[in-house]
Amino acid sequence: MDFEERSTHVYRQKQMMSKEELVARESLCIHEQPAYCVAACPLKLDTKELVRAVASDDFNRARQLYEKITMFPHILSSGCDAPCQEKCKLGEAGDAVAIRQLEYAAVNYGQKSKAKGMLRFKKKQTVCILGSDLFTLFLAGELAQKNYPLTIFCREASAEDFFLSCLQEQLPQRKEEEARKAFMLEDLKALKNLDIRFECGAELTQSSAEKLRDQYNVTCISLTLARELFGGISHDEKLMMCFEINMVTGGENLSVREAAFAAKKAALTVDRLAQKLAPDNSRGEEGSCETKLITNLDDVSETRQVPAGADGYSREDAVREAKRCIQCHCDECIKGCAYLQHYKKFPRVLTREIYNNVSIIMGDHMMNKPINACSLCGQCTVTCPNGYDMAEICHAARENMVFTGKMPLAPHEFALHDMLFSNQEAFLCKKQPGFETCRYVFFPGCQAAAVAPETVKAAYLDLCSRLEGGVALMLGCCGAICDWAGRYEMYDETKEFIEKNLKELGNPQIIAGCPMCKKELSSYVKAEIRGMWDVLLDIGLPENHRKYNSSYALHDSCGARGDAHTQEAIRRLLEQLGCELIDTEYSGDRSPCCGYGGLTAYANREVAKEMTEKCLERSGLPYISYCMACRDRFAREGRESVHVLELIYGTEAGAPPDISEKRYNRLKLKNHLLELLWGEEIRTVELGFQLDYTKEALEMMDDRMILKSDVEEVMKDCHETGEALLDMETGLLVSRKRLGNVTFWVKYTKTDDGYLVHRAYSHRMNVEKRMG
Amino acid sequence: MAVSEKNYYTIDPEGKLICMKCQVPLVKGKAKFMYLDNGFPVELPVCPVCGFVYVPEELALGKVLAVEKALEDK
Repeated sequence: MDFEERSTHVYRQKQMMSKEELVARESLCIHEQPAYCVAACPLKLDTKELVRAVASDDFNRARQLYEKITMFPHILSSGCDAPCQEKCKLGEAGDAVAIRQLEYAAVNYGQKSKAKGMLRFKKKQTVCILGSDLFTLFLAGELAQKNYPLTIFCREASAEDFFLSCLQEQLPQRKEEEARKAFMLEDLKALKNLDIRFECGAELTQSSAEKLRDQYNVTCISLTLARELFGGISHDEKLMMCFEINMVTGGENLSVREAAFAAKKAALTVDRLAQKLAPDNSRGEEGSCETKLITNLDDVSETRQVPAGADGYSREDAVREAKRCIQCHCDECIKGCAYLQHYKKFPRVLTREIYNNVSIIMGDHMMNKPINACSLCGQCTVTCPNGYDMAEICHAARENMVFTGKMPLAPHEFALHDMLFSNQEAFLCKKQPGFETCRYVFFPGCQAAAVAPETVKAAYLDLCSRLEGGVALMLGCCGAICDWAGRYEMYDETKEFIEKNLKELGNPQIIAGCPMCKKELSSYVKAEIRGMWDVLLDIGLPENHRKYNSSYALHDSCGARGDAHTQEAIRRLLEQLGCELIDTEYSGDRSPCCGYGGLTAYANREVAKEMTEKCLERSGLPYISYCMACRDRFAREGRESVHVLELIYGTEAGAPPDISEKRYNRLKLKNHLLELLWGEEIRTVELGFQLDYTKEALEMMDDRMILKSDVEEVMKDCHETGEALLDMETGLLVSRKRLGNVTFWVKYTKTDDGYLVHRAYSHRMNVEKRMG
Repeated sequence: MAVSEKNYYTIDPEGKLICMKCQVPLVKGKAKFMYLDNGFPVELPVCPVCGFVYVPEELALGKVLAVEKALEDK
């Protein structure tokens, strides 16, 4: 059971998943799906952004957005029936946002966009438009914008008459609507600014239309006029085309919105025809579309529309109304996850970047850190409406990197050594004294022994005294550590090792003290597994257990995600102890990770700290957890934190142990139980000298992940060889030793009977003397 | 790999470090950092007798750590 450092000169490759699988996974993330209002607009207006711009009092920006979809913003904003407003999500919680009024306000209060855009040349293909109605007006705008040399043939005497004739059914006639009429007529300026040639007073007959058709590359005609000239011709609504006369057609009894949309479709057909391409191919997505977006309205309070006057909103009222908009989006996963918040990326983007990261052979792997920072806790799978599984992506990427030799050892080496320590030096597997066979084996989990050895002892002695049939004890690691690290070969060996030991015990029923161990063991062990909490519910709490009668925040373990039975059992036990539990929004299956899961605590301490803080921000009360890693991390952040077993057995573990104490606790527990229960005499090897540490050194070592055992190795070496330096400036002696992949340096002074360690540091690079 | 004559880093002990085993001051000497099959020639305080190479704390936690991290992501 071992692992090697990698080389940057190894070029193995393996695909993490197929492209199709990647796309299928990405499509589950709906963060980038269009908002309901945007999807509803056939003209593809970025309504959400327009409303946001109005909300921030940026009417120029809002108008700029509106002018992207039409050359005639006054007409469109006056006449559009706003299907977007019907689809507004806020309509489900009060009134929809008055988008129609806001669009009107955007055009009314915003300045006309002055941006010239890129210098564009006139197209070579010529286009003519015959007839005057709303459709031909909007089409003229679309085609002029596309830079076609455009000629309009109309019976009216002037361009102004053409404009009025196009609008005749739309213009308000009543006196009190004069202002709105003047507003719509504003677009006459826009029409005059367009580079369009007018042939006014044209005699439009069948033969003149046919002549123009031969003269121009594409001919467009008002459908009313076409039917007047050519009789009862057909009309393809999708392509805006009449194949019998080979002209682009449209425009009978259309509303403003319909005419604008028909003009967009017709302009696309003109594009295709001008390029001599079939008009029905490669048209892309036209019109309104369906969105897969899911926006949670749980936190949205019901509000009412700001009332608008006859002339629409005042500037201030428009801003107030726009501020009601909740800017529909989906960030359900990000809301509860410190990891996604840290990297400011939603799962679809993160997955693509991770996929690309593991695919590249040479160069910088920028996503290694995010891959190793996920706690693999599975919260996103619960919070995402589509069950996006970021943990699976990150875990698959880790295994892939281990396979291809691209996984650096540095992020996980300490944890892997810690696991080896649990399953070698500190491992214990014993039957209950006096029993040939045991019906049960207690598996408290490595962190329980590391953080609260007295609790483990009390729990085991309790089980031995109250369960019939014998209870064996197994102190070790279930394999979660190497599984999280993506070290699949080591995980296989660990599973084999645990199974072998269980077999030697006669495959008894496992009583797991940790929900993560229970989950991990259940995935590969044949024997029946129960949680310690279930056993305690069966046999009852131990006699003389305390009653607590106070309030706590309960933190559900990510190991119990999806395990309602365990979550419920813990709550029942705590109820029996008299604890009043406060559940928060992120309780049960939605619980975030404490920062230990997925080895985040080792690979990326910054993100792990943010995860812990995320857990603790939910309540100001003391926290109860049922995973010892959670208990430890909360205590390290200075919060009152207790494990349910500590409450049951009244064994307060006290201040959180440092990394050296965590190892020492495991070894001490094993040796103590071996002596106490199995009568084995344990001999400890003495160093041969006294080794003391300053407080500063101990804090520094904990922060720098340097164990006392590492320092002891350095000091044993220098004690024997005398190899050391004296730093004249500080008066400190300096020694070093390479242990595995790391060189450890210790700065110390001599004492009467040994050494006092002042500082310690390490580096992974190997250094050697160079000849020449 | 071919080691260029360029030195990536130079520290002169200026007689402030003494090798306790050999009882001589450390001198500026040639050394090499090796990591993940990459080598970097440097000049560090070295004992002229036993060859003990000293990596100061600031160097280990500064430049060495930065290069380690950069190489790990290669």
